[in-house]
Order: sequence, then structure tokens, then C-alpha cells
Amino acid sequence: MTTQLDVHTTPGGQATKAVSLVDVDIHPVVLPPGLARRLPERWAKHMERYGRRAPFVTDLYPRPRNKGMRADSWPEGGVPGSDYELMRRQLLDEHDVDFGILLCLIPHDAGYDHPELDAAINRAVNDCMAEEWMDRDARLRSSILVPFEHPELAVKEIERVAGDDRFVQLLLPAAGQEPFGSRKYWPVYAAAAEAGLPVAFHTGGYTGHRGAGWPSFYLEEHAGYGVVMQMLLTSLVCEGTFAAIPNLKVVMTEGGALWAAALRWRLDEAYKQLRDEVPELERLPSEYIRDHVWFDTQPMEEPDDPAHFLQIVEQADLEDRLMFATDYPHWDFDAPANSLPRGLSKEQRARLLAGTACELYGLPKVVPVERA
Amino acid sequence: MTVAERPTITGAVDTDVHVAPAAMDALLPYLDEYWQSYIDDATIRLGGMAYPVGARTTGPPAPDAYAALGEVLDRSQPERAILSCLVLDGVHRNPHYAAALATAVNDWLRDEFLARDDRLRAGLTVSTLDIPAAVEELERLAGDRRYAHVQLPLRNDIPYGNRYYHPLYEAAERHGLPVALHAWGRGGNAPTTTGVTTTYLEDYASNAHIAQTQMMSFVAEGVFSTFPDLKVAFLECGFSWLPPQLWRFDKDWKGVWREVPWVKERPSAYIRRRMRFTTEPAQLPRDAAQVAQVVEMVGPELLMYASDHPHDHGDSSDALLAHLGEDQVEAILRGNARAFYGERLG
Repeated sequence: MTTQLDVHTTPGGQATKAVSLVDVDIHPVVLPPGLARRLPERWAKHMERYGRRAPFVTDLYPRPRNKGMRADSWPEGGVPGSDYELMRRQLLDEHDVDFGILLCLIPHDAGYDHPELDAAINRAVNDCMAEEWMDRDARLRSSILVPFEHPELAVKEIERVAGDDRFVQLLLPAAGQEPFGSRKYWPVYAAAAEAGLPVAFHTGGYTGHRGAGWPSFYLEEHAGYGVVMQMLLTSLVCEGTFAAIPNLKVVMTEGGALWAAALRWRLDEAYKQLRDEVPELERLPSEYIRDHVWFDTQPMEEPDDPAHFLQIVEQADLEDRLMFATDYPHWDFDAPANSLPRGLSKEQRARLLAGTACELYGLPKVVPVERA
Repeated sequence: MTVAERPTITGAVDTDVHVAPAAMDALLPYLDEYWQSYIDDATIRLGGMAYPVGARTTGPPAPDAYAALGEVLDRSQPERAILSCLVLDGVHRNPHYAAALATAVNDWLRDEFLARDDRLRAGLTVSTLDIPAAVEELERLAGDRRYAHVQLPLRNDIPYGNRYYHPLYEAAERHGLPVALHAWGRGGNAPTTTGVTTTYLEDYASNAHIAQTQMMSFVAEGVFSTFPDLKVAFLECGFSWLPPQLWRFDKDWKGVWREVPWVKERPSAYIRRRMRFTTEPAQLPRDAAQVAQVVEMVGPELLMYASDHPHDHGDSSDALLAHLGEDQVEAILRGNARAFYGERLG
């Protein structure tokens, strides 16, 4: 709740408040008619007749918990995340969110499709985010979706959209058809970095196979999101992505964060032994991770002893790298009032809830009280 | 610091000491005529991608005969040393060949090493391409306590909790044989969700990632519910990644337990009772106070000492032992392994 104490008045007479809550992971859905309306005729017809090529992630690993959604998030006649009004009430208003970043996951697997369809889906979703979500609410920001399997098309889409500064980052899934450190994807990262946009990697994409076969259960898929992020970050570091694109910033979304400590030790130790193989890495892996990587909090690993959380935050140097996320409307939604790790100082809480995200995304730190 | 300059641990139960035949010739006497001519015709060589000859982590060649191993044992005077021979970790896909080679490796280990030194134990190699053949090989040798565990390659085609493997676990449990997953394994599979890695560095670091998925597979598929006495060790996979992954696994199980009703307790409870991890590579922070924090989070009772001779992963494991109390060091060097292997070390 915004209290009297948080509200200030500018010389112009407009009541303002300090930004105190940024949600960096909200999932809007574009329903098929909304998507079809924005596609060229060929691809609208194609979608109608052939659908998409990628297997649905919920077909691979059905979610045995409220269909994977917050039980109260189903709008009449729609699916969770498809109704702006419901999202506004349940999330932005109820929790006093100052800024919420939209991560529409629908194009995650579009790289399976024809390159032009892939591009058309991403374009359609970006337009939908602008017109049906951000135009309706000054608190919303969005990720840019791109046909990343076709870097030249992805770069075009970045150029088309990046002028709208409500788009605050690029969004990719946690795995593509090649490991994301591959040079194939570097032009996409370089274009994002050039435009001053961080690249967020969100759980999902081609992540079912885990290097030694396919797990059987959603429990493994979900509890393994952080493992997939470890694979992804290992690829980015070891293949020299950060060495090649020094102004690249990446955000690991919905994969947890505390695994980063052991990953840093693991890669540093390996690098010290094997650096002759990778002379293009001029610094320790942990230094690249420290300078280039941010994390969100949903879902955060939760030790029995809260002191362990704080210890790992220190070990991994994460204090100004963690950003709060609700993951609305998914079943494991984190409410800001009761999901933060215990034992954080007031400053640590403020940084985690808003400060770090404001800095990374260049969001204003003071906003008018009435904005919806 | 090279391996030779680092302090030698003496008198330990060393749970991972590598040996390997220098060439296929050493195994030919243990193979029948058909396989001898198959190997000759196809010019099959021993090898694999796991330990490139010039990588600093690989170290010198693994001992190929008792004389060479003897020098190592003279230095470290182990209470027991468990030998790992990974030559089956190739890229071949012929299940009959894998079964024949497993038998040859086990017999070679016995004749070349186990028969010559009472301190030695070995991993029992089996084919993971043909589980009935693996069970047959296990039945052939499980009565010999010098085979300390069933050795499985960490990287295979199907996660290790899968029912495909359960007949092997049934037999292992019945004989009181733990199962040990050793880093690396079947070549040809990318160690990532999607594609192959272009650097050895990344491949090397990936063992820890695959170990985490295998650990979850055992629990999620109910292996520990179905086989209440089965134990599992992870060799050369690290351990400092454990705490956050256990927290995450427990939290998610609370959310979706109905998908796996056979998992009756929180996953970490099974893992802490049934799984052990070797100390090399240790992959620890440089700060002594942080090392102590990590050990406390992991729980020193989960760790078993391994020299991993002749591999050289750096000096983290020295830091591990240097920062622990006397009781913890004793448990890691001997006590935990004695309890885990029981009569197999007797």
C-alpha cells in the first residue's frame, strides 16, 4: 500500500512517490484470434491449417497443479494472463506495483516454424504488447520478442521496435537450437547491447533434454530450471560471448539465482586449469558473471536456515544483482509481502524490490501517484 | 601448484583412483575370438573424449599395470583405494560389444590389480546399453566383495531414475552393492539441453549440471522408495552445487508432490540418507570462512575423499581439508566411506 509518508508533491503540484516495487516477470498471453489478426494472410491461414511446429511444453510435462496457474487468475472465457483488467486488479493494483515488465512467452518456440512465420509471430506479439497492454497502463513495460533462430530477422525486429522506450529488454528462452553461447546468436546480442537493452533469458524453449536424456516429470523439469540456466550461462561465458560483446547485460529469469555461487567457483577452477584452451577469455569466468549477469527472484531457492540465503548472496556477490518477480499468473506466484527471503536489511529489500531493476532498465525512481 | 607439489593425503579410503589399459591388447585375452577379430577388423582403439591428452586436468596417463599403480600407493598408503576404469565410456553403440568389453574390463581389473593388493577395490563395470546383460555381469561378480560398487557413466541416454535401469538396482540392492555414477560417460550426446559444446572447458564443467539432473531423476522416479537399501555415489562430479539444488528440489516437491506420490519425504531427506559425493573436484570459494559455510550447508557427512589420481582439478580440495575440524576430516577421509561401503571394504 502507498502510505501518506511515501507521497511527495512536486513544485508543479503533482503528487509523486518513490518507486518501491518493480515486478520483472509478468506473463501476458496473446490469444489465437489476437495473434491471427496481426499476421499476414499467408501465415494466419498457415496457423489455422497447420498450427505451430513445436510441441507444447505442457504436453511434454503436464502441470499437475491448478493447470500451472494461480487458481484465481482465470478470466471469464479466457486463460490466465489474457485479460488486462484482471491482471491490473490482481497484480498491479493489489500489490502497488510501480513498474511491471511483460514477458510474453508465446514466441519462445517459434524458431521451430518457418523463418517468416517466426518473424511474423514475434512482430505480432510486440505490437500486441504495445497496443493492448502498455498503451493502457503507464506502469507496464515490455520485453522485445525476436526470431532469434534467424539473427538477421531478429536484428530487423530490434531496429523496428527499440525506438519505443517502453520496450526495456530483449527476451529469449533458456535454450535455442544451439547453445546460446554460439556465435550464431552474437549479432542478436550485439544489436541489443547497441540499443542499450539487456537480454533476458527466461525458462523454457528447447530445454526438455538435460544432457543425459529426458526427465519423466514436471517436478524434474521445474526443479531443473536452475540447472538449465547453469548450462546456458556456462555456454555464454565459455564460448566467449561476454569477452566479445563487452557491453552485453543478461538477465536470468525464473531460474533461481543461488546456484550462481557454485557455478562461479566451478568455472573459475576449471578456467585456471584449462585457460590455454580459451585465450579469448581474458578474465576469470566469475568476473564476467559479476559484470554481465542479473537474476530475478521467482522462484527463489529457499534454505531452511535463512542465514544460508544471505551467505550465498554474499558468496556469489549477488546483492545488487537480484530483482523481484511475481511470475504472475503462474501457480507459484510470489507476492511481495510474504515471499522475500527473511533476514534482509531494509536497504537490501529496497534494492531487491525496486532499486536494482530501476538501474538496470533505466526506470525513473520517482513516479506520479496516479498513473493507471 | 601441480599435483606433485600438493600435500599427499595418507591413510585414507580413496574412493576414486583411475587405472586404464594402455591399449586394447591388454583386454584381448579376456575376449573371445569373435570379439578379438571384430576389434581387429574395425581397428577399435580405447579412448574417448573425457580426458584429452594435453589438458592440464588430465594429468599423466592413468596407471596401466600394478607396478605403475604401486608407486602411487607407496606415496599415499591408502587404507583402501577404489579403482575406476572408464574405458567402456566410448561412443560405440553395439550393446553386445559393450557387454563383452565390460566383462573383459572386470576380469582385467581383478587379475592385474585386485589379486595383487588387498587394499584395492574396483568399480564393477557394466553395459548400460543392455540392462539384462548388466544384471548378468553383476550376478557373476557381486559375490566378490573386491568390487565395491557398480560403476555407471554419468552421461547416458536415459536418466538414471528411469524404470529401464530398475532390474540393475534390484540386483545391486540384493547384493549390498552401491551404485556409483562417475563423471563423463557416453560420448556423442551433447552435455546441454540442445547442442554440443565447442570447448572442452564447457564440457568439463558440464558434469556438475548432468549430476544435478541425475540426482533428481533417482528421487523423482521413486528409486529410493522402490529400493529402500540402495545407495548411490557421485564420483568426480563436485558437490558445492548441492545446497541450492536441494532447496529448490524440496520447495518444488511441496508444490507438485501429487505428480510423484511415491516420493513420501522431501527429496533432500532421501538424498542425504542415500547419496554420497567425492571430494575431487572440490570447486570451492577462495575465502576460508566461505569454505566453512559451504561445508556446513552441504553437510560433511555427504562427502567421501577421493584423490582422483592422476587428474588435476586444482587445489580446492586441499582448502577443503585445511579448513575442517579433526572430526570432519576423519569422517571425510575414512568414516563416511566405511559406512557407505560397509563390508565391501572389509
